Amino acid sequence: MTTTAAQWAFPRRFIHRRDLLRELLVRDMKLRYKRSYLGIAWTLLNPLTQLLVYYFVFRILFKVPTPNFVVYLFIGITCWNWFQGAVLESTAAILANRDLIRQPGFPAALLPNVTVGSHLIHFLLTLPILLGLVLVNGLPITPAVLWLPMIILVQYVLTVAFSLLAACVHVNFRDTQYLLGVLLMLGFFLTPILYEVSIVPERYQWLYNLNPMTHLVDAYRAVLIRGETPHLLALAGVAAVSLVLLRLNYVLFRRASTSFVEEF
Amino acid sequence: MAGTIRVEGVSKKFRRWEPNQPMTLQEVVLRGFRWKRREFFWALTDISFQVNPGRMVGIMGFNGAGKSTLLRLVAGVGRPTSGRVEIRGRLGAILDLGVGFNPELTGRENIIISGVCSGLTRREVTERFDSIVAFSELEEFLDFPLRTYSTGMHVRLAFAVASHIEPEVLLIDEVLAVGDLAFQKKCMDRMITFKKNGCTGLIVSHGPQAVLSLCDDCIWLDHGRIVAYGPAQEVVMQYVEATGTLPKQPTPEAVGAPVDADDPGLAVGQS
Repeated sequence: MTTTAAQWAFPRRFIHRRDLLRELLVRDMKLRYKRSYLGIAWTLLNPLTQLLVYYFVFRILFKVPTPNFVVYLFIGITCWNWFQGAVLESTAAILANRDLIRQPGFPAALLPNVTVGSHLIHFLLTLPILLGLVLVNGLPITPAVLWLPMIILVQYVLTVAFSLLAACVHVNFRDTQYLLGVLLMLGFFLTPILYEVSIVPERYQWLYNLNPMTHLVDAYRAVLIRGETPHLLALAGVAAVSLVLLRLNYVLFRRASTSFVEEF
Repeated sequence: MAGTIRVEGVSKKFRRWEPNQPMTLQEVVLRGFRWKRREFFWALTDISFQVNPGRMVGIMGFNGAGKSTLLRLVAGVGRPTSGRVEIRGRLGAILDLGVGFNPELTGRENIIISGVCSGLTRREVTERFDSIVAFSELEEFLDFPLRTYSTGMHVRLAFAVASHIEPEVLLIDEVLAVGDLAFQKKCMDRMITFKKNGCTGLIVSHGPQAVLSLCDDCIWLDHGRIVAYGPAQEVVMQYVEATGTLPKQPTPEAVGAPVDADDPGLAVGQS
């Protein structure tokens, strides 16, 4: 009896998780765009404004010589926004869903995934614009773009790893989001988003090599600007680090999540 | 349908909420990482019982007796400090009403999301959609946002979804007394149908009538211990006599601390 129940339960559980993720994502999307006339346009307005401002400051005022600077900037901005937005918003993932956490068998670790997933959708929505910019700038779209899904997957894993940590720390310490805001701003300027890593003095280079986002941003740029295969060793390294972090933070999250129900 | 609930020597220790427990990282740093010794209290002590297939057991007791805590542990939400909980059969619990509801979404959207959050697959919700709507009697309001609903309508929709999970083991935390009298009767009938279908149940209720008409046995909890456990008729009588008055009001929503922290009768364990 128990075995048949278990055999029957596995696919159902799997299907249920998938439905749960999908419905929560749909809810997230609907809530974001309900009662706003511009809808999706708002998501695109933000990175485009950033692009305009940074382009003005760095190209027109500071005369940065980076070729294809518009595309260069836009890749950095959208890729970083996905990471930052998801990690920052994950702090609220548990607290905003108390009712779900208290459901028997509810997979709490799904909630940071919903946040990261919904920011992934925003990122994907900016991709057509990005590809448009690539074409407008006369850059060829080469078969290297087939690496894009892989790079996106690695970034997803990395982002979920940090989001799990942010989500469970915030349950106990409610100022986590302010601290995170500061750290992420630091990360934004210490990742080659607005400048090229080659202008960084030799003695700071190691710091940049330790930053997984440096390699991810570079991988996007390799594929879209230089039209070449990304640095595979670096990408594999980031993937490995991301998986280890994911595992560690998931264990941490699991341990913390037994007390979520009691700590509120 | 064959669900069983077995609870063996379950105890639950909660950390007593410290007024000066650090709530922010800033405080932790400022205090130089010194942690205060924590105090504990026992919300449940050595609870054992078994619910056999097709039986329903009621749990009664004053506010803060540990009823909701027990139900949550049985549901697997949080872990007992000691002891074991064993469930056989597909578990469904109505611990909160309106799980996953959002005021901005329409009734239709909320039914889907709430159903999925309550443990149904998307397909199962779709199959039961008409039945859920019929139960709630809110056909005309389905496409309005939930925020435009009255409290009563909100609760009807919530219960309609919650009562369509069709589990083998059902846990209910005093949500039976919702809506107007007609709707309450409807909820009750729905529960009786569950029972007829062979559903095993554990039901927290403050209404003696509800316990008498649904449950075979009854547990009277007080200060985290079982005071009486036996046929519903007897235990409910004892309980009602002990209260001396009419049954108490249902516990208010948002049961944060399952046990009253100020209750002087609590056994406080040392860390």
